Amino acid sequence: MMENRHTRLWLGVLTLALPLLGFGAPAAGQERPVFDAERNFNPPPCDYSDTFYRDNGVEPTQVTGRFGDARRTGPPASGNQVNWVTDQSCSLNDPQRRNVRILATTGGFSDDGTATPADFISILGFLTSARAFEPNYTRQVGQQTISIKQGTNPRGIATLRVLANFEAYAALKQRLPDGSFAANPCAAHMATPLAPATPCFAVNSVDTVFTPNLRQDWRFDTNHNAIDGSDGNCINTDPALCPGGINNSPFGYFCDDLLGIWLIDYFWFTADPANPGSVCGPIYRSLIRKNGASLDGTPIIKTADELQNLIEANGCGAEGKLSVDGSDGGAVGFICPAIPDPRNGAIAKDAFLDQVRLPDGSPQNRQLTVNFLSLQRFGVFPFEKGERDGDGNQGDDGGQGDDGDK
Amino acid sequence: MGTKGMTAGRGTTEINDRVGTAGWSPKRQEPRPEMSRFQGDRLARRKLIKLAASVAATGPLLLLPRGAPAGTRTLRIAKWTHFVFEFDEWFTNYAADWGLRNATRVVIDSFPVEKIAAVAAAQIRADDGHDIFMFPWPPAQYYQHTIDHTEIYRAVAGKYGSIPQLAYRSTLHPRNGKHFAFADFWLPCPLHFFQDQWLKVGMPFGPLTYDSLRSGGKTLREKHGIPSGLAFTATLEGNVTLHTLLYAFRAWVLGANGSVLFNGNAFAVEALKYIRALYQESGTPAQLGWEPRGNVRAMLARRTSCTANAISLLRVAEKQDTGLAGRIWLQPPLIGTNGMGITALPHITNCSAIWRFARNQDAARQFLADLVDSSRLGYEKSLGCNFPIYPKTVPDLVVRLSNDSHADPPGKYLELKDSLHWTPNLGVPGFATPEYMEIFNTSLVPRMVQSVLKGERSPQDAAAVGAAEMQRIVAKWQQQT
Repeated sequence: MMENRHTRLWLGVLTLALPLLGFGAPAAGQERPVFDAERNFNPPPCDYSDTFYRDNGVEPTQVTGRFGDARRTGPPASGNQVNWVTDQSCSLNDPQRRNVRILATTGGFSDDGTATPADFISILGFLTSARAFEPNYTRQVGQQTISIKQGTNPRGIATLRVLANFEAYAALKQRLPDGSFAANPCAAHMATPLAPATPCFAVNSVDTVFTPNLRQDWRFDTNHNAIDGSDGNCINTDPALCPGGINNSPFGYFCDDLLGIWLIDYFWFTADPANPGSVCGPIYRSLIRKNGASLDGTPIIKTADELQNLIEANGCGAEGKLSVDGSDGGAVGFICPAIPDPRNGAIAKDAFLDQVRLPDGSPQNRQLTVNFLSLQRFGVFPFEKGERDGDGNQGDDGGQGDDGDK
Repeated sequence: MGTKGMTAGRGTTEINDRVGTAGWSPKRQEPRPEMSRFQGDRLARRKLIKLAASVAATGPLLLLPRGAPAGTRTLRIAKWTHFVFEFDEWFTNYAADWGLRNATRVVIDSFPVEKIAAVAAAQIRADDGHDIFMFPWPPAQYYQHTIDHTEIYRAVAGKYGSIPQLAYRSTLHPRNGKHFAFADFWLPCPLHFFQDQWLKVGMPFGPLTYDSLRSGGKTLREKHGIPSGLAFTATLEGNVTLHTLLYAFRAWVLGANGSVLFNGNAFAVEALKYIRALYQESGTPAQLGWEPRGNVRAMLARRTSCTANAISLLRVAEKQDTGLAGRIWLQPPLIGTNGMGITALPHITNCSAIWRFARNQDAARQFLADLVDSSRLGYEKSLGCNFPIYPKTVPDLVVRLSNDSHADPPGKYLELKDSLHWTPNLGVPGFATPEYMEIFNTSLVPRMVQSVLKGERSPQDAAAVGAAEMQRIVAKWQQQT
């Protein structure tokens, strides 16, 4: 309850702050415009239909904690919030969806080097083993046959390979209830030999990746396959044109990963921030100055470069993936489609931001909050607000009521 | 005349690890091979003896074409013995035809992969030998003894485009800007696994990651008695597998600028500890004694559950036992850790070098440039093993992969469709430099790993010793150039 009050307080403060950021009400004398349907053409996210899951190689009954069937309340929702609602418009807007609209909107960092907190996803459910992937499946659609053979679709793409190409980085809390610092996960095969195996932090259920158990917000790997096309593909064979070599990401997130599947990559620190030692200490301090501290007191990691070249290369951190046989019990991957374009209505008025919060309920990353509120209220990112105001249609959402502190 | 290498590939009563002719090819192509004779007057007797000794120890020689008119020029080619017999057979006939068209007598000598380095070194010492030497890896160590092959790349560019990255980074010496060899095809190195075995441990589509390889491999050995079978010995397979693994763990051997990175961070020890754990939990002592293609033989005998190799392994299985082949599935390389993604070094990078001492350099250049025109046939005759360096030569590669007449199911090889994406060059993140290739060819990495697996050194000590040896090699080459 205390946390909820703090949360509301913080959101209220941010709402008050938005006008200072340029999101003010229409100037005096201007006509307050009505809701602009042309600018709210992006429907908010909904769960996929069972058929669509199967057409894309995933058996929906094997999806753990699937929104629409489970997790209506509880993390990430808090208080009276619900994570999803029934909404008949879902299948009308997109016949591949079922009528379960997602309110819980998880934010995270694009792992493209910019460290921008601008990715918004819907965690529809979790994959705990390779059993979720159909080996064989056929469905006749008119003259067309949709088929999965040996786990591979007609385009020659195995669903598991799709999973392998998109990694989401989970930062589980390492500080245990007794105050000790766990330098490894409780999964022997992925524990790094560079740190003691015990004490360890749990990875044996999907709950462990729920937001209250995270020390920082998610990072989404876009350095192998960008979700926005910014992966720096260079496919010319002429070294003069591609001096760094060919980078031809074979998968496109929005064209190949139609379910929005991500492989979860757990990353953690191997040195207690309370006693980090002479090697990790300076690195921790430097990164904390730059990015801030996580809930464990370890640095917040925003980019691959920080994780790999600073933390892992110096033996101060490690990463690993749960066994795809499901023997670890936790989330190997999840179905969490990124919202292709979070603007123009994709963030619904009743959606809420699922992000890591400080003990006082305030957001750990305020820019993420500002981005979310801006998208929710105005349909644009903050930096775009001026552009939109400048095109003669200012204050487009002003008539929709002040629900920014929802 | 020793014929060990060739006869081993042509069918023995033992498990055959090379694709032979008895299965799919109804006829053996003529002409039959003969012994070649080096006839140059310039070849000193001492050198001839030395060269002949090295050749005799490794394999038979072929002379083509039969009955070539006297007085025609001679082009002598040394090549590694391909894993697929049909390819060598086709290549022999191709060379003969080329010789007829170009008034050239073409002599081909094949050597087992593991003998290639010794034969090349012997020819360099003798300052005489073949005109073209086809290596299964970039012969950067010999750059001082080869011509600049840039001209060949330029000649080919008119038809097939500028030099592709894999060739560029495999054959360019970055310090002098010259190409020490010409690359025309390569063999990807996917993971082969027995689907029925991995299904038992809940991984019907393979282990996917190194973490899952370890956990699933452990369960497979504990519950079903089947070890995993990555190659760890000082063989081509062992070298490729272990260099891949180090790279996938970000334990890079050399940096982009050629300096030693190994053991300069935490990744090397982490990788060595992983290999030790993998071996102890899921391996077999036999792994430490495998000779060349031991990993292939173990898979064909179903003694191991998986290995990394060129698809020649699966081709052998398809020919010998379709039931066995049906149970072997492919997957792209395991996902690396520390942000490395899916990656594997090429099993083979076919690099042809024309020696400076070659007597017929013009014909050699012409032969190599013309050979690219036949990349499609090379792909077919190698049963899909030889991926062309120039993609335009096999523009329908993905279509072919999707419908392979020998595969069950026909789309099994589609797992290779992105192989150019996940295959960097030997030497990555830098070039295939002389120092990197000496590290590779002296099997420094397999020896280092073996010292850990045999308990002779701790991972920390082995990494330190390995890094010191790498540093010595790098220093030596930097003094030379």
